[in-house]
Amino acid sequence: MSAPDANNDVAISVRNITQRFGEAGSPDEVLALDDVSLDIKRGEFVCLLGPSGCGKSTILNIVGGLFKPTQGTATVAGRLVEGAPHPDQIAFVFQESTLLPWYTVIENFRIALKFRGMNKAEWDDRAMAALRAVGMASFARHYPDQLSVGMRQRVNMARGLCVETPILLMDEPFAALDEQTRMVLGEDLSQLLAARQKTIVFVTHSLAEAVFLSDRIFVMTARPGKIKTIIDVNESHPRSPDFMLEPRFSELRNECYALLRDEIRRTVAAQRDPQPAGT
Amino acid sequence: MSVAANTAHVRPLTHGQRVFRWRLAFLAAVVLLLELYGWYGADPTAWVPVSKIMHSLYKDVLSDSKIVTALGWCVMQITVAYVLSIIFGVLIGLAAGSTNFNRRTLFPIILILYVIPQVSFLPLLVLSFGLGSAAKIAFGFSHAVFPIIINVVSGMRSVRELHLNAARSMGASRFDTIRHVILPHMVPSLFNGLRLGMTLNLLGVILAELYVSTSGVGYYTKLFAEDFNPGPLFALIGSLAFIAIVFNELVRIAEHRLTPGKHKQTAIKTKKAEQP
Ligand SMILES: Nc1ncnc2c1ncn2[C@@H]1O[C@H](COP(=O)(O)OP(=O)(O)OP(=O)(O)O)[C@@H](O)[C@H]1O
Ligand SMILES: [Mg+2]
Repeated sequence: MSAPDANNDVAISVRNITQRFGEAGSPDEVLALDDVSLDIKRGEFVCLLGPSGCGKSTILNIVGGLFKPTQGTATVAGRLVEGAPHPDQIAFVFQESTLLPWYTVIENFRIALKFRGMNKAEWDDRAMAALRAVGMASFARHYPDQLSVGMRQRVNMARGLCVETPILLMDEPFAALDEQTRMVLGEDLSQLLAARQKTIVFVTHSLAEAVFLSDRIFVMTARPGKIKTIIDVNESHPRSPDFMLEPRFSELRNECYALLRDEIRRTVAAQRDPQPAGT
Repeated sequence: MSVAANTAHVRPLTHGQRVFRWRLAFLAAVVLLLELYGWYGADPTAWVPVSKIMHSLYKDVLSDSKIVTALGWCVMQITVAYVLSIIFGVLIGLAAGSTNFNRRTLFPIILILYVIPQVSFLPLLVLSFGLGSAAKIAFGFSHAVFPIIINVVSGMRSVRELHLNAARSMGASRFDTIRHVILPHMVPSLFNGLRLGMTLNLLGVILAELYVSTSGVGYYTKLFAEDFNPGPLFALIGSLAFIAIVFNELVRIAEHRLTPGKHKQTAIKTKKAEQP
């Protein structure tokens, strides 16, 4: 079975994905994604930007192979996903920390590397290198609940990086971090991208982060999620903080904001109006 | 110099030490009251001073090799019943909890079996298993196995979807997932079941022991009770209580040692660390 798009430059291809949750026809049925298509090139940094609940995590989950969409297909590196993860291609950094509380930080890394079938001799080297990159090396022997929320998220992200897959799916990895740490880690990520040619799909609610990191920003509509606009950011990686001072940066940021504002207004308005079906 | 040595000894007690001392003091007070009651208030056919019970423990119970053997059998029955309960409880629990379908089919049945007062079946059990150890083991087993099953099932059920998804996305095999995600998650719940199981197991075995009074510990309790001889009677009951306490403690220690993330810290081996 050949993939619909066998182009070698395309890392991720999503074709006409529709996702419904809940029993069909019941009042709980939610149309999360409505006919979404997108292509992400190899080595590209893409941000998904959109109001809360518009289906960003759902797109990542489908691409990551956690479940099959109601309709449509996702292709990763030329292979159809069909609800089965491709751990050799994709590393997932979830929105919530998925560190196992019964293992220390280092043990969490070890099992992640073990699950992926890495050579045992490399486990600790890779783990410590990834932890050093996020400034958490001295907490290797701590248990996750001995860390602050932000520290846990840094570790969680480092665990995604340590397996060195060509594709990284990151669902708001910086959400619990302070602005400064976000910036520093963002710069690191940009450097990583330049050095390793990784493909990264990144979900964020921060406009500055989206503009600073992305090659392209996919702005989504409120639920049911669709791709509303794609914004190109023509700036090579690695990016320096100076980029944020350029007028181009604030223009792009404002453009994103204007696009999102309408959508967010719509979501809020929909929530305020009482639904007649409820009573 | 002696003053310095003295002050070095007067250290404030830690919270734990204070709790421990008060606990000892409370127990001592209870023992003292029972002792005084035995000397001055009690009917000597129903209660004797604690000191006399201790004397009987030495003279009538521990020095009588037949009673010691009977207590030994009791320990054996508790152990065998418990080991069987763990094996069957965990296996049945894993089977019943492994899929939603199994759980919804089997779990209600298990819950109903659990709440049936089993004492009413004791005579029946003795009829089919005889007067020996088998009936006592069976009774201990039938008490202990249910809480273990129930806690294994509920432990499996509460595994977080997020952790399962993460493991899956990392390419964990079914076995990896069970070994690193499901089992460690279940351990606290499993030990809840094991603790409860031990309590009920002791109840079952000792109940059956006392009921079957033609041999074993039950025979001796009946003998002493019919002789209106509270000294050895309470000494024997005290020995059973001691056995029960030891078994419960063993489970507690095992829980402390085996719960993941509580005790072990492993060394980190990196190439950098090896080169100074
Ligand atoms: N497992 C599920 N069962 C039912 N509905 C779901 C499920 N997962 C997501 N949804 C629904 O799908 C919609 C999109 O969810 P999703 O998590 O993708 O949003 P999101 O864009 O990631 O939002 P946020 O920015 O708040 O994380 C939501 O309305 C949510 O209620
Ligand atoms: Mg989300």
